[in-house]
Amino acid sequence: MKLFALALTVLLPCLAASSDADPGKALGSPSAPIQIEVFSDFECPACKGLHEQILPLVMRDYVIPGKVFLVSREFPLQMHPYSREAACYATAAARLGKYPQVADTLFLNQVAWGANGKVWDTVAKVLTPAEASKVQLLAKDPAVLSEVQRDVDAGKAAAINQTPTMIVTHGASRFPVAGAVNYNLLRSLLDGLLK
Amino acid sequence: MVSLSRVFRALVLALRVALGAVFVYAAWTKLRQPWQLFAMSIDAYKVLPYWAVLAVARTLPWAELAIGLLLMAGRWLRITSTAASLLMMLFLALMTKAYADGMHIDCGCFGLGDPISARTLARDGSLLAGYLFLTWTSLSGRRKAA
Repeated sequence: MKLFALALTVLLPCLAASSDADPGKALGSPSAPIQIEVFSDFECPACKGLHEQILPLVMRDYVIPGKVFLVSREFPLQMHPYSREAACYATAAARLGKYPQVADTLFLNQVAWGANGKVWDTVAKVLTPAEASKVQLLAKDPAVLSEVQRDVDAGKAAAINQTPTMIVTHGASRFPVAGAVNYNLLRSLLDGLLK
Repeated sequence: MVSLSRVFRALVLALRVALGAVFVYAAWTKLRQPWQLFAMSIDAYKVLPYWAVLAVARTLPWAELAIGLLLMAGRWLRITSTAASLLMMLFLALMTKAYADGMHIDCGCFGLGDPISARTLARDGSLLAGYLFLTWTSLSGRRKAA
């Protein structure tokens, strides 16, 4: 987690976006040979595992060296009552450059807010009062709501049926990687594509 | 008038070619993508150690291809139909266990995006019935010949 946070900080100046990626949710160089889109649900335990255990390693080994462009996408599942609300807050926070912090705290405290529904209390902890006011307003902004829905629609168009799912794109090839992944296998896949 | 035994043989032939094609298709969906993706599907079942996951991911699609082609060609039927039945039994047992354990994973049967569900279990159960029937006809044919 600490490494992930450090990497995010290092990469903040490098934040960039592909044609349709929210710049606040994209990490690394958009000209990287591989793009990974992570479709996740803040209330999904496997997504928490991916975010906290696998993505920091992807950041260290591939995003920071410029080999992978990492894009976060929202895919709140209907079975999770608070995940769309969380996705809206996170997307709103991305407009202020606070997506990494909000995503970290949402996953870290997933069990608590997933049980009591206090999503905002969790989000507000990592924002200043001024930021919190803006995020609350932005979370209801039609542009933010439609961005979340666009991610969901993109996921459905890619036939995603579970979270987390990573869409690994290399040239014209796109490979969905669903569920909790073994990092050794993911590394082998990425290294194979980079050869 | 066409005899019943000729109709039966024609049906068995059609079933053999179709079920062979299923194995060939299953192999093709795995071989056309990086092997690591199939390895991830196998690993998701949490039944094999890492080294075995790698070994199965690299060899099983080729075995499926060979079995499928041999079934379609009608070569070594007793061996290939028995191997197909045993493989399908193994797949179905693993899928049923994963489903019963509430694991939300891809079955890995025909490439990606095929999560285990009652539908996939029914589909593979039906296929198993077909392979068992082929095995029965190939083995009973041998006994009759003897």
